[in-house]
Amino acid sequence: MIPGTLDSDLRASAAARPAHTAIVDADQRLTYRELDERVDQLAQQLRGLGVARGDRVAVVMRNSADAAVAIYAIGRAGAAFVPLNATAKEHKLRHLLGHCEAGAVICDRGVYERVRVVSENLETLRDVIVTDEPLPAVAAGSESGDVLDVDLAAIIYTSGSTGLPKGAVFLHRNMHFVAGSIVAYLGLHAEDRILCVLPLSHTYGLYQLIMTVRVGATIVLEHGMTMPGRVVEALERERITVLPGVPTVWHVLVSLQGLAERDLPHLRLLTNAGAALSASRVRDVHRTFPNALLFSMYGQTECKRVCYLPPDQIELRPDSVGVAIPGTEAWIEDERGREVAAGEIGELMVRGDHVMQGYWRDPETTARKIKPGRFPGDRVLRSGDLFRRDEDGYLYFVGRTDDIITSRGEKVAPGEIERVLYALDGVHEVAVAGVPDERLGEAVIAHVSLVAGCAHDARSLRRHCAMHLEDFMVPKRVVIHDALPKTDNGKIDRLLLAKQSVEPAPAAAV
Amino acid sequence: MNRNDTMTRGAQTDQLRDEISLFITENFLYMRPDHVLRPDDDLLRLALFDSLGFIELIEEIQDRYGIEVRDIEINEENFGSVNAIVSFVAARRPT
Repeated sequence: MIPGTLDSDLRASAAARPAHTAIVDADQRLTYRELDERVDQLAQQLRGLGVARGDRVAVVMRNSADAAVAIYAIGRAGAAFVPLNATAKEHKLRHLLGHCEAGAVICDRGVYERVRVVSENLETLRDVIVTDEPLPAVAAGSESGDVLDVDLAAIIYTSGSTGLPKGAVFLHRNMHFVAGSIVAYLGLHAEDRILCVLPLSHTYGLYQLIMTVRVGATIVLEHGMTMPGRVVEALERERITVLPGVPTVWHVLVSLQGLAERDLPHLRLLTNAGAALSASRVRDVHRTFPNALLFSMYGQTECKRVCYLPPDQIELRPDSVGVAIPGTEAWIEDERGREVAAGEIGELMVRGDHVMQGYWRDPETTARKIKPGRFPGDRVLRSGDLFRRDEDGYLYFVGRTDDIITSRGEKVAPGEIERVLYALDGVHEVAVAGVPDERLGEAVIAHVSLVAGCAHDARSLRRHCAMHLEDFMVPKRVVIHDALPKTDNGKIDRLLLAKQSVEPAPAAAV
Repeated sequence: MNRNDTMTRGAQTDQLRDEISLFITENFLYMRPDHVLRPDDDLLRLALFDSLGFIELIEEIQDRYGIEVRDIEINEENFGSVNAIVSFVAARRPT
């Protein structure tokens, strides 16, 4: 077995703890032995279908044991997995599957029809596998050699400011390294039971699975927070020790009646990422889960995680996202590439083996994002985010240098929503902006002006967005204007619109 | 509440069902104009709500009917369909 690959983690945990529960998905529980066997079966199947080393196989699934099996089976077959959001609509799926030239798609019944329609006119896509159906018999495929830690492990798409998603490319080595770094600072171990309500299609959810398998722990998979009673029940029934969330998750949990009075003696770690929590929300979370430590973290898809705030600092510096994760470094530079002094604002730079290789088939954007370092082969990731640090070296997020909105922990490109609205007859002008929102991190607001006599209203425009965009991209509000304000040079005045959209801060929750 | 006292249990249930269906239709179903909400529709499967939408629904039900919904009660059994919500509210509502 070659070390340093995702599959090596699974094989090691299956050998060390075969009877330990790896995955809980509703009534289904898989031990490490069972997970390993099911991964083996699906990997054989994939090889039989002709999936070879280096191929890309997309996973379009809701959180489930099957989705976890798919992710590891693709790796065992030597291919790279491409996790895609299960609510992505046809045109987006077509674009992404075509862009990464996926040879196969693994999906569940709920999205099969969408994937099937899309697959009909994609030449590179040979097979669509539905996981909740019995696997058809195929001839044994040939082994294409052991997967190395420098082989392609995954392509993870993230919203780009041009409106077209970019595929961040990771080797096994990168993913294995960052999983180990996060495991180290969180202190995760084999007796942990992690409750994952975050989608496995997003890095934050995906890495819960990867870290679970790494340490031989248990992951309990849920489909989001729509029925929070299920989540509360799972916290107690499964004696959950680790709960990762984004601001929306904490908002729902702290608003529940009775949760703060529950004795959850096993819950020891809470992690927040996706967007910062306000100091008052941190207090709400502590009140609801008084026995658990809260880690505030910051990252981006291109390197998974950049920094974390040790929990003993959260009272002292509630708005800091801490220090670089173990084995990496992060610093702040001015426009001329010089490191800035404490208190000054500049762009955050990141260096370490967690940094992606680049964007799939996009050398130009890659060159803008990754710059040469101090010696041949040394690479530095430009985060594109503005930061400052304090005298003790703790980092503070200040703002973005692009117009990407972070809502519900997901990145949203305004251009992608604007394009969808512009495609509608009667829509004259559109500007999409993010405004701070306690529940969502940022809320997506679409400002629209309409052609005279057009019958659209805010509801019909939101509905149109819901039909063409992933759920998290649908604007929370559509504001219809007679005309959008313009700057002196005639462009839509986004800054003014953003200022106008900011609602007064909501009163503290009672 | 006085009016409710004189109503039969069946009529009260019908009224509850109408009120809750109307609230969901007006506030959430406009995203799915093709769909006419039936009382036994699986609300999760319809995917009308995200987690925040569901919290809005719970808040509305608590305020409107003067009941308290506990954390663990927000599950499919009590909130999975309009009929489930009607049964839950009818059993809890102060008379």
